[in-house]
Amino acid sequence: MIRFDSVSKRYPEGREALIDLTFVVEPGEMLFVTGHSGAGKTTLLKLIAAIERPNHGTIEVHGRNLARLRRRDIPRLRRDIGMVFQDHRLLMDRSVADNIALPLVIAGIPRDERARRVRGALEKVGLAGRGKDTPAALSAGEKQRVGIARAIAGRPSLIIADEPTGNLDPQLSEEIMQLFTALKATGSTIVIASHDLPLLKRMKQRVIVLDHGHLIDDVAAREVA
Amino acid sequence: MNARASMASEVRHSRFGMWRRQHAWCLRDSLRQLARRPLGTALTIAVMGLALALPLAFYLLLANVQHLAGALGDSQAISVFLKSGQGAEQAATLAQGLRGRPDVGSVAVRTPQQGLAELAAIQGFGDAIQSVPDNPLPFVLLVDPSPGTDRAQVESLVKDVRAMPQVDLVQDNGQWRARLDALVELGRRIAVLLAVLLGAAAVLVIGNTVRLDIRGRAEEIAVQRLIGASATFVRRPYLYEGALYGLAAGILAVGLVLALEAVLAAPVRDLVASYAGRLHFGGLSWGTLVATLGIALVLGWLGAWIASSRHLARTTA
Repeated sequence: MIRFDSVSKRYPEGREALIDLTFVVEPGEMLFVTGHSGAGKTTLLKLIAAIERPNHGTIEVHGRNLARLRRRDIPRLRRDIGMVFQDHRLLMDRSVADNIALPLVIAGIPRDERARRVRGALEKVGLAGRGKDTPAALSAGEKQRVGIARAIAGRPSLIIADEPTGNLDPQLSEEIMQLFTALKATGSTIVIASHDLPLLKRMKQRVIVLDHGHLIDDVAAREVA
Repeated sequence: MNARASMASEVRHSRFGMWRRQHAWCLRDSLRQLARRPLGTALTIAVMGLALALPLAFYLLLANVQHLAGALGDSQAISVFLKSGQGAEQAATLAQGLRGRPDVGSVAVRTPQQGLAELAAIQGFGDAIQSVPDNPLPFVLLVDPSPGTDRAQVESLVKDVRAMPQVDLVQDNGQWRARLDALVELGRRIAVLLAVLLGAAAVLVIGNTVRLDIRGRAEEIAVQRLIGASATFVRRPYLYEGALYGLAAGILAVGLVLALEAVLAAPVRDLVASYAGRLHFGGLSWGTLVATLGIALVLGWLGAWIASSRHLARTTA
């Protein structure tokens, strides 16, 4: 579960990125965060992953109060979170399999188990047999799938994705979203930042809307039209 | 073993396994990175290897000079050459007089015949001696100062002996020995200074190489941090890289010095033969060579540690 309680974030240059945000994301829920550019979507995801710290308020992730989290415990928190980035952030000099295996190496998973999980993740994202390719040999959609495979390889209970379809055409965006829907079905909690309103409408999941750092709307899944 | 103890043992075992797997991966990653740029890696190793070989070669030279000094003995003996007119009786009287002094331990009289025989024994002098009609050598008194006599007391003894009317020349063996010891000490300090300076240079070379590598892999480091890598994990491949650079440079330095030894071995053997085996050219001990490898490894590791710490300090968690 994720709990934001009166959370505000102001950057050192004075910009108010988030102002008095309060919401809860239940385990197994899929939440979209939307808003125009600069509304605070990325900052919200960064706060969940402890990349940024709030100036005010309390954030709880998996029952852990992030304000009390020691610096040395941050890596452990992040190992429980699968992160998907708009620009994939794949290591171009490594194979697809090596990219996906990286969080497993960090977690100290044995080699055989690593290979098994990498194969499983590749199958889940529809890239079975492409493990030896380099990311340069993949299309934009395939790269994003690899990014998702890397995020789910460690079997995190929470996945956060920042504009995962930002660089993709509508058809590929739809395919990527279907992957997230499949992950939700396995019980993962998923938070996705996206400004693609037509896509959000088709997904019919809970949406919170940000505007200049304020939470201006929280639309339940059944109310998304 | 109860269930709780068994579980604790399993956790410890699993932590060790995790630690071992992470180290194995980091070592493989470091080797992969080094293999990706063979020329750059070879140049860095060559620069550091030469930097380490120089003080090592100097140390080799110094060790042999020290050995030579040791072979020549550390006595402060004084050779007293009597005037040509002085015979055996005068020599014995003078020796007896010197034995009475508290700063004299022993006095031996060497006759001109003994001196000539000794000279003839030295390679190359035999024929020359044959051509001399009369023995031109004087009586010589070999004076050993009393044990515990310091340098100032020996110099005072030399001064007194020199003033004696029967004495032609006094050779103070301890004086040149003191000069040799001072030169060896100077050489030792230069070797230490050279080792420190070139060791620091090696640290800087490795530090700069690793810094450039870290800069080139900044995106990879950022991704690792985002997906849960600790600072220790991120730093580890670079530490291995530095240590591998250091180890390879140490092997090169040891190889160069062994080659130097091999090159010098033949001419030194000839020189030794000409001195009737009184000199000896020795190589560095295995202990020294292994210590060199260890020091080189630590220097490489240190350079990488400095470079990676600076980078990690600048980046946020």
